[in-house]
Amino acid sequence: MIEAKQLSKSYGDHLALKNLDMKIEKGEIFALLGQNGAGKTTTINCFLGFVSPSSGDALIDGISVKSNPQESKKALAYIPETVMLYPNLSGIENLAFFSSLAGLTYEEEQMKSFLSKAGLQSTAHQQRVGGYSKGMRQKVGIAIALAKKAKALFLDEPTSGLDPKASNEFSEILMELSKEGTAILMATHDIFRAKEVAHRVGIMKEGQLVSQLAASDLSASELEKLYLKTI
Amino acid sequence: MVKYLLLNFFRSKVHPIGLLLLLVSGLISIEIGSRFLDRTVRVSEKTAIHQQESIARNVSYFNKGMGDLMYYLRFGLENETPRLAGLSIGQRDVYPTVQSLTVRNLEEQRYATDLVNPLFQLLGNMDFSFVLIYLFPLVIIAFGFNLISEEKEGGTWSLIRSQTVSPLTFLKIKMGIRLGSVLSVLLVLLVIGKFYLAIPLDLPFLVFGLVSVLYVLFWFALTWLVVSFQMNSSQNAQVLLSLWVLLNLLLPAGINVLQRWLFPVPEALSTVIQNREGYHSQWDKDKEPTLEKFYVKYPEYRDFVHPKEADFSWLWYYAMQQAGDEEAATEVQALKRKLGERLQLAKSLSWFVPTVHAQLSLNALSLSDLGNYLHYLTALEEFHEKLKAYFFPKIFGNAPVLEENWTGFTLEKFQDKAHFQWVQLLAPFGLSILLVWVWARFNFRKSGIYSDQKHAS
Repeated sequence: MIEAKQLSKSYGDHLALKNLDMKIEKGEIFALLGQNGAGKTTTINCFLGFVSPSSGDALIDGISVKSNPQESKKALAYIPETVMLYPNLSGIENLAFFSSLAGLTYEEEQMKSFLSKAGLQSTAHQQRVGGYSKGMRQKVGIAIALAKKAKALFLDEPTSGLDPKASNEFSEILMELSKEGTAILMATHDIFRAKEVAHRVGIMKEGQLVSQLAASDLSASELEKLYLKTI
Repeated sequence: MVKYLLLNFFRSKVHPIGLLLLLVSGLISIEIGSRFLDRTVRVSEKTAIHQQESIARNVSYFNKGMGDLMYYLRFGLENETPRLAGLSIGQRDVYPTVQSLTVRNLEEQRYATDLVNPLFQLLGNMDFSFVLIYLFPLVIIAFGFNLISEEKEGGTWSLIRSQTVSPLTFLKIKMGIRLGSVLSVLLVLLVIGKFYLAIPLDLPFLVFGLVSVLYVLFWFALTWLVVSFQMNSSQNAQVLLSLWVLLNLLLPAGINVLQRWLFPVPEALSTVIQNREGYHSQWDKDKEPTLEKFYVKYPEYRDFVHPKEADFSWLWYYAMQQAGDEEAATEVQALKRKLGERLQLAKSLSWFVPTVHAQLSLNALSLSDLGNYLHYLTALEEFHEKLKAYFFPKIFGNAPVLEENWTGFTLEKFQDKAHFQWVQLLAPFGLSILLVWVWARFNFRKSGIYSDQKHAS
């Protein structure tokens, strides 16, 4: 569903990505670990079409991002590290707006159900986002991704700055989405969360995926040791 | 998408305040225009009454001889002010609305006002054209300068780009809402102005509206170009405000200086001096040459002769007045030519400066520009000739004063017509808008958020 083929990206002399190969199947959650600057965000940006690879290609549902960015974008959803919304619009209006950007329109009831599924309390649906906490905005971000019914979901450090409860709820939603068949690529620093949620974990270093393993093979502390050894 | 962008637009305080500001200043400007029009109407009415009273009074005092009476009588020619001038006062406040002339020499009477008045583009009334030219761009800048950067700086840009296949369409809609809101205020003001100032719904008014819309479009296009470079908000604001200063203050001032430098008009003063000298010196000269000159110009009066050895006759008096005008003729021609050249220079340069082009076009359409004043000067000349042609035979033949129907000499009106060529009017806007649009398109294409493009490069 999500596939990188010899994906490389250089900025001048600096190689941010070196011949990255990876494949994430339908319903699979893949966690990318790595230091800042290891290439996690660049990888995600290549899939989103924000960054054009120097060589190689990124594919979403078999569609090349390079040659058909419009189609590939329709199949994906993205939740940035900090979801920022329009403070003058309510949660439900923000959801309606961002969905309309993707060409989707929903009835109010449907939108409420997306927001509720994302864990946003119903009292907040009609309130302006200006008064939302980071966790609440993150939930609207999830609802936007849910409403897009994307086959591939990209997350860039989605739980950073969330309290443990919000973080936990977030993980549950991800697992539910994976059950429904969504392929998920998540860049994170949270080793514990990665072990909890992901089916597979990859560790990146200097633009390369240096190890890939099934999350079930290791305990969280073993994973942490491996991570520290790798980087 | 449009619905929510509209909601967001109107819920932020900045936008309604900006629009309200434009509306209020526009309404004030229309009121100022209305007062200006009232004043010209009042001047015209009072002059008409005064002319009648003054003629009647003079006739009652000087009814022995036509020559004597015609020394005093003044006949007014009004430069009729179109209602549209209420929206663009231009130089109408500097030049007189009515000039009253005697059949004596013309040149001393014709410029009873400031002559050294180059195109006044910097100062003037806060009329509608001021609000349009100076204030509208500021609001357009305030609405558009952070079109993209506010999304980037507010953190929403990445989510937007991941959601839409065409971020450019999103930006166009966003800009379109701003354009629509500003144009709405403009149209509301034009409609209010039309009714409040009782402007007839004719071609000049419609073209006036068209020029206003094009001017607004130009500023939106310019803002679109600046945001297409995708700099941060403060850089955009700096660049746009610098452009505002350049286009609205520096370049018009520069053109003004250039006009005065290239076409100085020392004739403005020397015309009047030469004219005075021209006839005053006649008192000390032989009368025959003066009369001979007069007969050359007006052979139809050859039958009237100056009594031999006489010190004074009205024939000689008006002949020497005429000599004064002729003395100044070359200077007058030079003055008119140079003023015309100044106007032409401004018109030519305005192809490259849409703000100046807008000002010139609006003033030309509402007959409040230098061009109209030059036409009026010519009309005064013709009016003076007409008066002379009518009264000279009566003066020289000493027609009885009381047999003349003096009440028939009412205030006459000169009605100018707005002359414009469509290409000259529209092309400077069209070309500048096209240029910045294409440039912006190139920038967006290069930046990779262009929707038609297969991939970012």
